[in-house]
Amino acid sequence: MVRYEIRIAGFGGQGVITLSKMIITAVSLYENLAATQTEAYSASARGGRCWAEVIVELDRNIETIDYPQALRPYDFLIILSGESAASVNPDFIKKDENTGYLLWDPSTIQKFRAVRQIKKALSIPVQKIAVEKFGNIVFGNSILFGAFTILSGIISEESAIETLKKFVPSSTLEKNLEAFELGKKEALDFIKKLKEEN
Amino acid sequence: MSKENNKRFLQEGKYVMMGNVAMSEGALAAGLEFFGGYPITPSTEVIEHLAKRMPEVGGVCMQMEDELASINAIMGASLVGAKSMTATSGPGFSLMVETISMAACLEIPFVFCDVQRNGPGTGFVTEPHHNDLGLMRFAGNGEFGVIALAPMNCQELFDLTITAFNFAETYRCPVFIISDAYLGHLHEAINIPPKEEIMKKVIPRELPDNFDNKFTYLDPTTNKYITPKAPIMGTDYVPIMFLHQPHNPNGMSSRRLALPFTQMLIDKIKLNMDKISLTEEYKLEDAEIVIISYGLPVRTSYRAVDIARKEGIKVGIFRLITVWPFPDEKVKKVVKDAKAVIVPELNYTGIIAEQVERVTKLETPIIRIPKVCDFHHPNDILEKIREVVK
Repeated sequence: MVRYEIRIAGFGGQGVITLSKMIITAVSLYENLAATQTEAYSASARGGRCWAEVIVELDRNIETIDYPQALRPYDFLIILSGESAASVNPDFIKKDENTGYLLWDPSTIQKFRAVRQIKKALSIPVQKIAVEKFGNIVFGNSILFGAFTILSGIISEESAIETLKKFVPSSTLEKNLEAFELGKKEALDFIKKLKEEN
Repeated sequence: MSKENNKRFLQEGKYVMMGNVAMSEGALAAGLEFFGGYPITPSTEVIEHLAKRMPEVGGVCMQMEDELASINAIMGASLVGAKSMTATSGPGFSLMVETISMAACLEIPFVFCDVQRNGPGTGFVTEPHHNDLGLMRFAGNGEFGVIALAPMNCQELFDLTITAFNFAETYRCPVFIISDAYLGHLHEAINIPPKEEIMKKVIPRELPDNFDNKFTYLDPTTNKYITPKAPIMGTDYVPIMFLHQPHNPNGMSSRRLALPFTQMLIDKIKLNMDKISLTEEYKLEDAEIVIISYGLPVRTSYRAVDIARKEGIKVGIFRLITVWPFPDEKVKKVVKDAKAVIVPELNYTGIIAEQVERVTKLETPIIRIPKVCDFHHPNDILEKIREVVK
């Protein structure tokens, strides 16, 4: 049993739940791994504090996730709002090799105290790039998805692109793929930087 | 309403689905033609999804003015031959019980999905709490049998909903699906089987072969209860008497029929336990400690059992898929030589633990693991297993 625990937190409307659905779709439909997703409900999902969790079982012999709630420390944490950043503690993230990543958006988070103590923390001003470069914040999701694909290493690029095709309207696919590539590049540069530091 | 509609079935394959949606798709695959409901957290996605899907399959999804109207509407639809269901949560269920009793008396088939939430009163609306099990068993006045099925994942929400409809058609009694706020909102991959495979399983609603009996009767030659197909009003199959009092197989009422009638409502289910009672066993062969449960707590029990087995503890699981009617005989057999029985449940009282107590020797300890607005981590169960061994 090798559980991979993912948590995404932000505010409603940022695409927190969509991103989690993209992740579970990629892992369960295209990677054939067992996975579950749970999400914030009602008012919080529509503007308040919003969160979503995905658990992926990396052991292919296991067909179901017995305990469908993400457990700390997480393998992957995505933080998109100041409010959710305030509650993050460095211990929330795994310290093992090749896992325990924090991905956050400095264009929506002014202060992130815990970030200094987290080694594998990548900041991408997702919302800013999405608006300035692509003209709409909805493209932020594809940037995040690109970064997630590379950093987590649990989904192949092909699976990720198939998933994107399923989620975005065909008219915006090109732009979304561009956003996805941008996220990918940020993640690859980050991994390179981490390696150099070591 | 067209019964042969291809859109009823999703294309064969793997999908990621929310529990409530998987349940709705199961209902569509089973031939659901009328959904009447009133939105209530955490069951709202059911009516949301069906509002979109029902027109596609030539069915009707109607948002009624309240829960009373919802349950009465589905009874009416069922009487004219449409497979019907509703979905609600605890507070909505409380409002519906009067009609459930009436439907049981008239033997109207229907399926009722209860996506349970915390209670009493309003409670925490998005939190799981298996606190309606008693209500399912005893909903409404009078004595009658019910069937309740407890899925534990999204795949089973799909599969068991088909089974639920089949039970409703076969036994013409209230059939419940035991879901909860957590299971209803869980997203998981599910496999949709090919259409042909589903159609082979589904018992359709059609006119009976003969019109002699409209309600369940005792066959004097075999001494068995025979439940004919539900009558369909507005066809040549008339007249149909629907009496909300003890009645004979044709719907005519008499005081002298009260005892045999009550007996029939209960025994038509009890005597078919071999077909209705669905259970599963896991590592029970030599088990000294038996875990008995249903729904989500079973899901987390498997890991606890596997770890305990590695430690040399003889423990196994007896899973109730059919929770009502409670399988007295099967449980008696399972707990006969058990040194202890553990019943993890998502409630405080231990509604099923009480049933286990009824069929277990007085000296056998029955250990409850109550959880409310939360659910068991495998360690919660493992700890209890270790405690028992000490």
